[in-house]
Amino acid sequence: MSTRNAKPDILQGTLDLMVLRTLESMGPQHGFGLAKRIQQISAGALDLNQGTLYPALLRLEQRGWISSHWGASDKNRRAKFYELTRAGRKQIAHETDDWERTVALMDRFLRVPE
Amino acid sequence: MRTLWKRLTALFSKRQWDGELSEEVEVHLEMRAAELRQQGLDPNAARAAARREFGGIEQMKEAYRDRRSLPWIEIAAKDAGYGLRGLRRNPAFTLAAVLSLALGIGANTAIFSFIDTLMLRMLPVEKPEQLVNLYRTGGWGKGYASYPLYLEFRKHTGLFAGVFARSAAQKVRFDAGHSNSVEYVQREYVTGNYFDVLGVKPVVGRLFKDEDNRIPQAHPLVVLSYDFWRSRLGLDPAILGRVLNVDEQPLSVIGVAAPGFHGVAVENHADMWAPAMMQRGQIMEPGNHWIWTMARIRPEIPRGRIQAAANTIMQQYLMSVYGGQRDSAFGKWALEQKIEVRDAGVGISMLREAFGKPLTILMVAVGLVLLIACANVANLLIARGAARRREIAMRFSLGATRWRLVRQWSIESLLLAVLGSILGMAFAIWGERYMLLFLPPGFGEALDISPDARVLSFTLGISILSAVLFGLAPALRATSLDPAAALKDGGAQQPGRGARASFRKALVVVQVALSVVLVVTAGLFAHSLAGLRSIYPGFAAQNVVTFSLDYPQAWRGADKQRHRERLLARLAAVPGVASISYGVPGPYQGGSWTSGISVPGSARTAKGGDQVAEQGVGPAYFNTIGIRPLLGREFNQADLRSTHKTAVVNEAFVREFLPGTTDPAGRVLNLGDSKGAGGEPSYIVGLVPDILHDGLKTNPKATVYVPFHDGDVSFDPTLLVRTQLPPASLLPVIRREVSRTDPEVALTEPRTLRERVDDSIFVDRMIATLSGFFGGLALLLAAIGIYGVMAYGVTQRTAEIGLRIALGAAPGRIAWMVLRDGLMLIALGVAMGLPLSLAAGRISASLLYGVEPNDPPTFISTIAVLLAAGILAAFLPARRAAAVQPVEALRHE
Repeated sequence: MSTRNAKPDILQGTLDLMVLRTLESMGPQHGFGLAKRIQQISAGALDLNQGTLYPALLRLEQRGWISSHWGASDKNRRAKFYELTRAGRKQIAHETDDWERTVALMDRFLRVPE
Repeated sequence: MRTLWKRLTALFSKRQWDGELSEEVEVHLEMRAAELRQQGLDPNAARAAARREFGGIEQMKEAYRDRRSLPWIEIAAKDAGYGLRGLRRNPAFTLAAVLSLALGIGANTAIFSFIDTLMLRMLPVEKPEQLVNLYRTGGWGKGYASYPLYLEFRKHTGLFAGVFARSAAQKVRFDAGHSNSVEYVQREYVTGNYFDVLGVKPVVGRLFKDEDNRIPQAHPLVVLSYDFWRSRLGLDPAILGRVLNVDEQPLSVIGVAAPGFHGVAVENHADMWAPAMMQRGQIMEPGNHWIWTMARIRPEIPRGRIQAAANTIMQQYLMSVYGGQRDSAFGKWALEQKIEVRDAGVGISMLREAFGKPLTILMVAVGLVLLIACANVANLLIARGAARRREIAMRFSLGATRWRLVRQWSIESLLLAVLGSILGMAFAIWGERYMLLFLPPGFGEALDISPDARVLSFTLGISILSAVLFGLAPALRATSLDPAAALKDGGAQQPGRGARASFRKALVVVQVALSVVLVVTAGLFAHSLAGLRSIYPGFAAQNVVTFSLDYPQAWRGADKQRHRERLLARLAAVPGVASISYGVPGPYQGGSWTSGISVPGSARTAKGGDQVAEQGVGPAYFNTIGIRPLLGREFNQADLRSTHKTAVVNEAFVREFLPGTTDPAGRVLNLGDSKGAGGEPSYIVGLVPDILHDGLKTNPKATVYVPFHDGDVSFDPTLLVRTQLPPASLLPVIRREVSRTDPEVALTEPRTLRERVDDSIFVDRMIATLSGFFGGLALLLAAIGIYGVMAYGVTQRTAEIGLRIALGAAPGRIAWMVLRDGLMLIALGVAMGLPLSLAAGRISASLLYGVEPNDPPTFISTIAVLLAAGILAAFLPARRAAAVQPVEALRHE
């Protein structure tokens, strides 16, 4: 749909699942908190431009998997908080399945002796 | 779906969203910077680091925006705005394109609304596709049937799920008890099961049942249409049981039918329905054909079997009624009647029969006009595309994709189509009004051609289709260029000019070919109409006013006669009135009647009665319509009162019944004698020329004129007034005299005799006029197309022409070179168009009168007209080419 020269974004599907999982484990969270947490968990293995997170959040919200509202942060600043919806929870289960299947499949290929 | 909705709403709250996103980003950056400051960085360094980690903010926002809304709508809106500005910058181009399209689309919409109304719109009843009309043919008019025949078909419940009948809606007097002026209403007689079989429900009260239609004159009930209840009775809540005086029958309202239901006729809507048994006269007579029989078929029975069964039923019925007279001419005639089972889901329409085929042909014609218009716009767009090469090249260089540019062009095309169809709708409304003027008064006023959803979607469909037709090819062509080359040469030169030019030429050739088809058909129809107009109807139609009188229902024949005598005496005294008479049915008032006859001494009726056309006329009838008896005299006052019966016959009568007789005066004939046994004799007193009473396209019929006598239940005569002044100027006077003679009597259906003759050929007039208009339009569009291509070609070749002139070519040769190009296109188009025209002529053959579909003069003059138009169109560019100044042309290079 977009005419812009889209960068190949191999992380798209995985980033979605990361965000959903993070929200599931942490509860409602603002964008910065999410970014920080994802980087913590990936322990530096993921070189993520933090900005990339926002279009992903919008996409998830449009699909109805997360919802957002403006609230106050722990330092009493106004911030936008994201929260997992019921549909989002189902989606995690669904995507986890998918992901595990893919991993298992790839695993088989990679283990085939030469 | 939800995503789409969110995106759509986002379109309208763009600013707010952008603000929120900025704030969110700001919060993010601030939080990170705060963390870094705590780790000991100075504020500036912390801020910078936070931004670095975040990545490209603007890029992210862009991605976010794309994601958030429907970018293509925004782009489309932008393109549309851009397109509109472009169109406004080129008013000549825009005007030419929009006008071409509007004419094409308008013509299509207008013709299609008629087709929709007459042939496509289903009746608002239950399962209309199951309805059929049991259409009677052969003798005594077509379509109508008798009540006993209806009852006969009704018995066959295995064949039909229901059989009902209705009279034609008739305009009758109406009095709701609150007004002194004469009001009229469309009343229809229906059988008791009418609403039941149709599946129409009441909104108020109840509708008829079979019990409401048992005994003649015993059911003074009426059901109203919703529209009538609303518009004429103001939705009167106490309507049930109210007594309305309709045609001087007091009828009490029992219900109102569902909104939108106006009966089963297309051009003759009913305002109210009364039980068939309330019809006056000999309604049960097998020879009285006054109702249309309709049925709901059982869908499981194949149509072929229904028709076969209907044939059998009809045969048995006819034998039971006329079997005893099978040897007489009358009996033979009666037995020839047939029943056609016709689809009636779209309603009954007399107009459709006369008009269906012409409309289909006109639809094809306007389709061709639209194609020609599209070719014109495509041509204009290509020329414009060439002029915009630089701009397109620039946009390519700036990174626009071809798809993006094609899309922008397509949006411009759509804009043109939308503008064209808006203007086209206006043309269509105007055109429909104009077309309605051709219809005889009874048809036109009741025909509802207001556009419905189908017409609107048709218009939308053809405008989108035409946008694709004329827009896509130019768009693809304009964008298939090498930007570097186009920029380098400044857009003046045309790499690939050959291909582009030949495509444009091909378009022009197609335009010419299609115009040939339209001009030929226009010529054929014009020729046919001219032939019809030159036919002498047998009387002088100029300066004769005709009208009917509407008498109070209680009046007997003697009352009517007395009134007419008084009126005639008054009218005779009006200055400017030359002659007055009357007749039944009168000239061009629904043909003539048929009577049985035997003529003593005639070989033709020696073995039994025969049929003859009969007209009842008053004194001075022939004088009034401008003809003199060839021999003997016409009727006078004495003939009206005399017991000695007299008759006047026409030449066809003498040819058929008394061949070889030079003077029929004094011979005897027995009229109304179907058995040949000898009825009461009438003495022939005069011989008159043939009159084409049944229409210009018919042959004269053997006709007997008898003095008209008012019966108690008979048709009222048409009055005829020959004037010395223009008839229109006398009509108000006549109207005044009618109301002075007796205010109870109303003048109806005023029409000049000329108009009545015109009405009888309204289809021919309409198709000739419209096809002439469309032919002219096609010609004009094609000429514009030729001009456009030639003029453009000259501009393109300015340098070459300049060189030729510099090298010594004479201006005449240069002009001829250009002209020859144009002539080649026209010749090619004509060559392609001629075979198409022959085919078109054959298709229209049944609508042509006195012209062969391959009429050589028409074809030759069409070719001449096209050549003339083509030369005219190519002449201006040729002259310009000849006037090229070599120095300037070469400098231009």
